[in-house]
Amino acid sequence: MKVSRLIGLAIAVMMLLSLGLAPTLAQDCDGEVIELEFMNWWGAAREALMDTLIGHFEAENPCIRVINQVQPWDNRAELLATAAASSNPPGIIMSTRPETYQFAISGLIIPIDSFVEAHGTDLSVFYDGEIGLQYWNGELYGLPMPTAGGLTSLYIYNKDMLRDAGFDPEAPPKTWQELEEMSAAITVADPMGVDVMGTQVIGITGGDASFVSWLYTNNGRYSSDDGRTLLFNSPEGIETLEWMVNFTNNINGGVENVTDFFQDTAFAQGDHPWYDNQLAFLRINTSFYGHYNVNDPEGYANTSHWGTMLRPYNGDNPDATHAGTTGYNYSGAWAYTIPAVHPPEKQEAAFKFAEFIGVHPLGGCAFLFAQSRPSPVRECNENPAYYEVNPTWSVVLEGLATDVAVSITPVQGQLAEILANAIEEALFAVKSPADALNDAHAEMQALLDEFWAEFDAENM
Amino acid sequence: MQASLKQQQTQPDTTWKLRLQEWWFRNRALIGFAFIFPWFAGFIIFDAAPFIYNLYLSFTDYQIGTVGVPPWIGLENYIEIFTDDKLFGKSMYNTVYYLGFSVPLRLIFAFLIALILNLRVRGMELYRTLFYVPSVVPLVAATVIFAGFLNTRYGFLNQFLVLIGVTPVRWLSSPDAIKPSLILISLWGFGGQMIIFLAGLQSIPDDLYEAAAIDGGTGWHRLIYITIPLMTPTIFFNLLLGLIGGFQIFEQVFILLDTNGGPLQAGLVYMLHVYNKAFRDFEFGYSAALSVILFLIIFVLTLMVVYTSNRWVFYGDAQDDES
Repeated sequence: MKVSRLIGLAIAVMMLLSLGLAPTLAQDCDGEVIELEFMNWWGAAREALMDTLIGHFEAENPCIRVINQVQPWDNRAELLATAAASSNPPGIIMSTRPETYQFAISGLIIPIDSFVEAHGTDLSVFYDGEIGLQYWNGELYGLPMPTAGGLTSLYIYNKDMLRDAGFDPEAPPKTWQELEEMSAAITVADPMGVDVMGTQVIGITGGDASFVSWLYTNNGRYSSDDGRTLLFNSPEGIETLEWMVNFTNNINGGVENVTDFFQDTAFAQGDHPWYDNQLAFLRINTSFYGHYNVNDPEGYANTSHWGTMLRPYNGDNPDATHAGTTGYNYSGAWAYTIPAVHPPEKQEAAFKFAEFIGVHPLGGCAFLFAQSRPSPVRECNENPAYYEVNPTWSVVLEGLATDVAVSITPVQGQLAEILANAIEEALFAVKSPADALNDAHAEMQALLDEFWAEFDAENM
Repeated sequence: MQASLKQQQTQPDTTWKLRLQEWWFRNRALIGFAFIFPWFAGFIIFDAAPFIYNLYLSFTDYQIGTVGVPPWIGLENYIEIFTDDKLFGKSMYNTVYYLGFSVPLRLIFAFLIALILNLRVRGMELYRTLFYVPSVVPLVAATVIFAGFLNTRYGFLNQFLVLIGVTPVRWLSSPDAIKPSLILISLWGFGGQMIIFLAGLQSIPDDLYEAAAIDGGTGWHRLIYITIPLMTPTIFFNLLLGLIGGFQIFEQVFILLDTNGGPLQAGLVYMLHVYNKAFRDFEFGYSAALSVILFLIIFVLTLMVVYTSNRWVFYGDAQDDES
């Protein structure tokens, strides 16, 4: 048979198959099928998992067809802004907390309180700290998945490296001082910078988030509960930044060594120093377990090789304790938001899907379990099977319990940029930590005051 | 008889062709316009209209989600840029620094390579292709390759420096090295300018060189007194393109240094600031004002270069006409 005939036959078979599949959905649905474009950043690696979730949803809701639009991470802000502001946005959008707030204040998305009431959705199934992050100005704009918690409170550590350096592998550092001692003992310098590193206490990108995370382990705070006053330049804040600068200079040999050590590496891609036993302590978010398991299944299964620990606190401050932060990180506190321009039936469909992702056992619950990471729904995390897929599960839960919610506003992106620059100025010795924080505070507070003045004027 | 019959049969055809030719000639201007209409329509839709709309937006407080007519705020965006925006000066400085080095270096580099590729050597077509090939590599791919090339610990460049006993450079992690690194990367795309230079070099009549050789002119004399003066229109053209393109540098920085422009924002170029204002802060009106300022700067600079070109650009034909 000629090749052209074979191709023709193949096309004919595919057409017949597609014709056969289409009515299946139509037969199950009594009315019109609503197509729901789902704009998300779950990535190609999790596409199959997400498709499974969508399959379960469509089986329960035959009149809704979800189109899984996995977006590339590059140009994310640009894609999101243009999609959200267009006259034909996706049916449902996965957005971070600052973005949700920005869209909410711009009227691009709708509050979902009325849907919650109409559907009888039980919001108490969520951790208070998780659902609480999705409110702006007293209205709920999205249901969370995955957790905002566990982004800053957890570290994984290399037990072999601790053992080799003469430390007890089952007793990871609990305080800043212990972390310093162990890191100094482990770090090995070479002519190109650092060959083996204990850990770094500064961010590779976005140094502000690292500072804020350490700030809470020194009993400091970023802002007041109402989000109107910035508090990070307190004595605790200055002490925190001084400690970060000293650690970086004395143990890592300077900020450039840290940048170079992690240059062009990514944990998710499997080329991170962690996999080569070149890094002893690594701050993780809860997605790392899934990536670790995928990139190095043998290493992940060997629990004598690694463990999870909580972010150390300042042992010299009697009021300080373990703490993580939620809702501060620009990449944290994801929710599924519904554009305002769509007709009510499409918004209704979008809410059903958001609810399924959020609270259904076959939704986010199963999706996150498959990645060994926690859910914002309390009950999901009580599944005993978690201890089998994540051997350090008890520490993960402890981390979630110590997380503290941080108040932010829609101008968080601009504030974060100023704070990140201040941290860099301190690390590069352009300014002292105290001057860097005080100058940043003055600039940021002015910006925040301007925002609240405009907001109050519009909402009075 | 038969011939006359044949003539009668073919006459209508000839008449029809003649009429068509006449119509074509009478309406040649219209037909010309019809041919350029697709370009003109594209220009109006994709260039002129967005430009005018951008200009309008720059006087408004247009933010993401603005419904209906964005609020008119007059010159407020411009006043804020010049009085309150620290990153305006910083990003402009970084851009001008980059431009000040990359444009002349790239011109000189492209010109020198074009001179070499203009020699009559066996297999020159192959060399020309090899030198041009980097220019067809997509910018994003080339930048990713450079990221690995400039990696402090494992990059080829530093490994080479260490091999010859030179201290490695923190190309992308030291604030002092970031702008030189961007300038270095900019040399990569010299192929386009090189081809234009090569075309210019090949249009210089050989008899001028022969006359110079008879008069005892050396290679250096031929370069200084014949090649460079006759190449000034091409240099002028490449300079303009380089300036316009240099001000708009974005992709390389975005990929290598992220939106903050690297440590201490040493690589925060102007277009990155425009991007951040639009897509991170969602202040589209402000971002439009920033881009209008960039347009004006490029426009004025282009006018200045064009104005001064009378003094240094040598148009052989114009000279002939005058004589």
